[in-house]
Amino acid sequence: MKISNLLSGIVLMFLTFPAFAQTEDMESIRKSLWLNYENTTLDPANGKIYYEQRLDRNPLYGLLEMRKSLADTNIHEYLPIFQGIIMANYKLGPQITATVPTPEERKVQRLKFLAHPDRYKFDFWIQPLFSAIFGYRQQTLQSNTSVLLQTQFYLWQGMVLNAGILFPITNDMDNNPKIIRPAPVFLNQFFAFGKNFISASAGTFYNDQYGVNVQYRHTDMTNPWSYGLEAGLTGRYYYAKDGVYSSSLNQVFLQADVAYRLNRPDVTLKLSGGQYLWKDRGARVDLIRQFTNVEIGVYAMKTTNGATAGFNFAIPIPPGKLLQGRNARLRTTDQFRWEYSYTRGFKIGERYRTGYQLDQKLRQYHTTYLNSQRGD
Amino acid sequence: MNINLADLFLFSVRIFIKKKGNILLPFFLMLCFQISVNAQSNISGKPGLIYVPSATETKEGTFSFGVNYNPIDYGFRFNKKNSENIYFINLTLIPRLEINVNLLRINNEKIKGQKGIGDRQIDIKYLILKEKKYQPSLALIISAPFGIDNSLTTNALIATKSFKLGTTFSADFTAGIGSPYYIQRDDNEKSNYNIFQDLKFRKKKELAYAYLSGTIGGLNLHYGQKGGLLFEWDSKHFNVGAYGKLFKKWTVQAGILNFDQVTFGTSYALNLKTLPKRLKKANENQ
Repeated sequence: MKISNLLSGIVLMFLTFPAFAQTEDMESIRKSLWLNYENTTLDPANGKIYYEQRLDRNPLYGLLEMRKSLADTNIHEYLPIFQGIIMANYKLGPQITATVPTPEERKVQRLKFLAHPDRYKFDFWIQPLFSAIFGYRQQTLQSNTSVLLQTQFYLWQGMVLNAGILFPITNDMDNNPKIIRPAPVFLNQFFAFGKNFISASAGTFYNDQYGVNVQYRHTDMTNPWSYGLEAGLTGRYYYAKDGVYSSSLNQVFLQADVAYRLNRPDVTLKLSGGQYLWKDRGARVDLIRQFTNVEIGVYAMKTTNGATAGFNFAIPIPPGKLLQGRNARLRTTDQFRWEYSYTRGFKIGERYRTGYQLDQKLRQYHTTYLNSQRGD
Repeated sequence: MNINLADLFLFSVRIFIKKKGNILLPFFLMLCFQISVNAQSNISGKPGLIYVPSATETKEGTFSFGVNYNPIDYGFRFNKKNSENIYFINLTLIPRLEINVNLLRINNEKIKGQKGIGDRQIDIKYLILKEKKYQPSLALIISAPFGIDNSLTTNALIATKSFKLGTTFSADFTAGIGSPYYIQRDDNEKSNYNIFQDLKFRKKKELAYAYLSGTIGGLNLHYGQKGGLLFEWDSKHFNVGAYGKLFKKWTVQAGILNFDQVTFGTSYALNLKTLPKRLKKANENQ
C-alpha cells in the first residue's frame, strides 16, 4: 500500500473519530483515562469516588474525566484529593455543588492512605524556571533560566518530599556558578479540618531562601470570602562549586490577606499586607482572573521601599503527559508562574516561593470557578 | 462552521499526497475546527485598523499576540532614524476590560545598547457603551501613566458602529479623538522606586512622533470574518491596508502609511475560556 493512501486513510479516521469513540473504543478510552488518576477508592455502597489527579491544574478536568471513565453510573459524589487530603465533596448536576467533607469521609480516606502506601505513581515532571531584570542599558536583559526535573515522594497522608535536579541555562543576574545542582528540596505537609487548610513547608525553597514557611487559609468551596495567614523564617542559600553556602535564618516573612470572589465579573479581589523579605513592609491589591488553563492577575503595591504595579500569570506547559504507565509517569509541569513588576532592583515587596501557594491552590477548587467554565 | 468541510478535506488530502508524511497536517486540521475570534489589530496590538484602535466589543477571554513592523519615517521612538518592531499581547480580562502589553524595539540600532530591551507599555481599554441597534460602542483607552520614557502611548476616546452590507459584507466605522497630552513620570531608572510619584502632563508634539494626537477615524470593510480592507485617518496621515484571516485564528495584515511606506504584521488569537476538545464531550450532562 502506498504511504499516501495509508495517510489519507488516517485523515479519514481522524475526521470520523467521534463516531468510533461512541462504540467499541469507549472501553479503552475509559481505561486510559483511569490511568490518569492515583489513589482511587471506589465506594459503590455510598455512591462515592475518592481520587487524586496531578496531571492538570484545573480540577474540572479531573472531575469530568472521572465521570467519563466510570462505568458505574451510581457514583454521584466526587472527592478529589490533594496530597492525600480530600479537598471537598462535589456533586455534578447541572451545577456543580460542593460540601465540606464529613469526618467519616476523611476517616475512609485516612485508612486507605495508610493501607496502600504504593497507591501513587512515580511522577516526574519538567519545570522551567525564569527570572529576569529588564532595562539596564549596559546589559538589557539579565536573566536566570533553568530547567528542573522534579518529583515527589509521598511519606504519609498529606506529607510530601519534593526533590529534583536543576539544569542551569543562563545566569547573569547573580554570581552563583552555573552548575547542575539539586532543585529546591523541601517537605510539605498539607492538612485540612472543616473549612481550614494548612500548608507547612521546610527545606530549600525557590528564590534562594531556605527555612520554614506555614500558610493557613479559611475557606470552603462555595463561599466568596476567604482569608489567610502566612509566616516564614528563612535565610539565603546558594550552591557554590565547593559546597552549599547559607546565611543565618534572618528573614521574617509575615502576611495576612482577605479575598473576595465576585461572580460578575468573574474575578477574585485580594488585599494582603504585612512584612516581605528584606524587612520591607506594606500592602498589596491583586485582581485575579481564572481562565480554563491560565490564571492572570494584575496588582499594585505600596511598601516602605516604594510603590509598584505589574501582572502575573500561571500556565501549564504543554503538552502535559509525555509517558504514562501504571507505575510511573513523565510529564511537563501543570503550573509555570511568572510575575512582571514595573520597577526593578528596589526590593519592593519581594517574596520566595515554596511548591504551591495555598490560596492559589484552593481557589482552583471553588465551585464558582468550576461552574463558570461550563457556561457555553 | 462556515467552511465547506468537503472542500477542506479534499484540500488537505491533496497537500498530503504531494508532501508525504506532512507532520503538520493534524495541527492544520485542529486549527480549522476552532471557533473564530476577531483579531484584526492595530500597530500596538489592540483591536482596530492600522494606527487607529476601534471600540469593537471583544469576547471575555479573548487573547491575542503578535508583532507589527513600523517603518522608519513614521518611527515612534527615533523618528526617521530607526524602524521598529512592536510585540504585543492583548487580553479581554473581564467583560468590557482589555489589557494590552506591548514592547517597542527599534531596528538597526546605531549605538550599542541604545535599544535596551525596548519600551514596555501597559494599556487599558474600557468599553463604556456596548453597540446596539442605533448606538455605537464607545471605549476609552488609557496608557498606564507610570512609564518613564514611552513613545507609543494611546489615550483616546473612540466609537465604533458596524453596518451589515448584504449577507456577507460589513462596514465598521470608527471615529474618535486622541489626546494631545500624555502622562510621563518625571524620573529615571536609578531612582525608579515609586511608580505613582511625579506624574506630569506632557504635550505629544514634543515627542519624536505625535501618535494619535487629535481627531482619528476609519473604516474596516470586511468579508465575514475572513478578511477586509482598512482606511483610516490617524490624526496626521491617511493610511490604507488589508488583512486576511487564516484558519480562523491567524491574522496577516499590511498597510501603506501616507501612501509612502509600508507597515505589516501578524497576530494569533484564541479564547482562554474555551474548554479543551476532549472535555467538551465530557461536560455534557448525563
